[in-house]
Amino acid sequence: MSASQIYHDAIKALAAAATGEGTLASADGRALVDNPLCGDRVDMEVKMTDGRVAAIAHRVRGCLLCRAAASVIGKHAAGASPGDIERISIGVAEMLEKQAPSPAAWKDLEAFSPVHGHRSRYRCVQLPFEALLAALRAAGC
Amino acid sequence: MKKTLYERLRAVTAAGASAAVVTRLGDGAQSLFDGERWEEGLTLDEERRAVVRRMLVADKSGILAGTEDLFVRSYARPPRLIVVGAAHISQFLAPMAALAGFEVIIIDPRRAFASAERFPGVTLIDQWPDEAFKKLNLDATSAVVTLTHDPKIDDPALIAALGSPVFYVGALGSKRTHAKRVDRLAEAGLADKAGRIHAPVGLDLGGRSPREIAVSILSQVIQVRYKGEA
Repeated sequence: MSASQIYHDAIKALAAAATGEGTLASADGRALVDNPLCGDRVDMEVKMTDGRVAAIAHRVRGCLLCRAAASVIGKHAAGASPGDIERISIGVAEMLEKQAPSPAAWKDLEAFSPVHGHRSRYRCVQLPFEALLAALRAAGC
Repeated sequence: MKKTLYERLRAVTAAGASAAVVTRLGDGAQSLFDGERWEEGLTLDEERRAVVRRMLVADKSGILAGTEDLFVRSYARPPRLIVVGAAHISQFLAPMAALAGFEVIIIDPRRAFASAERFPGVTLIDQWPDEAFKKLNLDATSAVVTLTHDPKIDDPALIAALGSPVFYVGALGSKRTHAKRVDRLAEAGLADKAGRIHAPVGLDLGGRSPREIAVSILSQVIQVRYKGEA
């Protein structure tokens, strides 16, 4: 599969929407993670209410895939529990590595299924999830 | 020299930046040029301002060409080469440029490449170039070269460099790569400035190896520093 099939319109639209981009006035947890091989970095903030994600905000310097994945988190993370986020992250890893069906709860993740087989790009998709999990840990979850 | 001009000159040089002072020998009227702005007394046309800029970039002092009574005194700090991309070529370019008298700074957000082991004794910044530039003061005595081969990193660096008074901008990549890059820069509203980029980068010495390309880049930076754009 060629590169153009990874960067298809849905991915471009997600990246352009940049849902959740910005900062939170009062975050409970924050994490900055980067990929030292490509330079992508995600600064993720999370606000919790009653053990669930109330809001997230991210600032991403990275490729289209990384920005699109952060945008999906911006669209879907509110209302999820830390356990939900962990399950989704595992689902994303399995979709990328084993061509498993994309996590049904977050339908937009389907857009990343063509990335399967492009090993060097898996982390581009996963980096925002790593950042969110780290931000949740920083929030004491 | 007027006190206000002297104090400005002192402030500019103390901040590690460069400036030229133009003095009219007849009456002592002066202007200060910090590489970007003109201050105080003299009115010079664009052509003469460009000559003063070239003199400042080359750290030359003397009578302004084409005049008899305007004296230019350059207070330039050592030229600075800002390399975007801790690439293989950079490993040769950095020490060569340092030996040639440049202050060398390497910027690369890819920490795996921008490591002190690969670049001993070099100033390394592991941020995105446009963020790093904000703290670096890209001035008239700085040159910027992008070498990452990744538009995601090179493009923001070029966009910032083209909006600055740096004396040289170069970008690694073939003619074909550069044509696509120019298209992207045009989309970013820089169609009129993209022509400033030296690409394919470096003088055409015929060399192909990273160390030879480093020589060709350094040669071109030195050439533009002293002779201006061809």
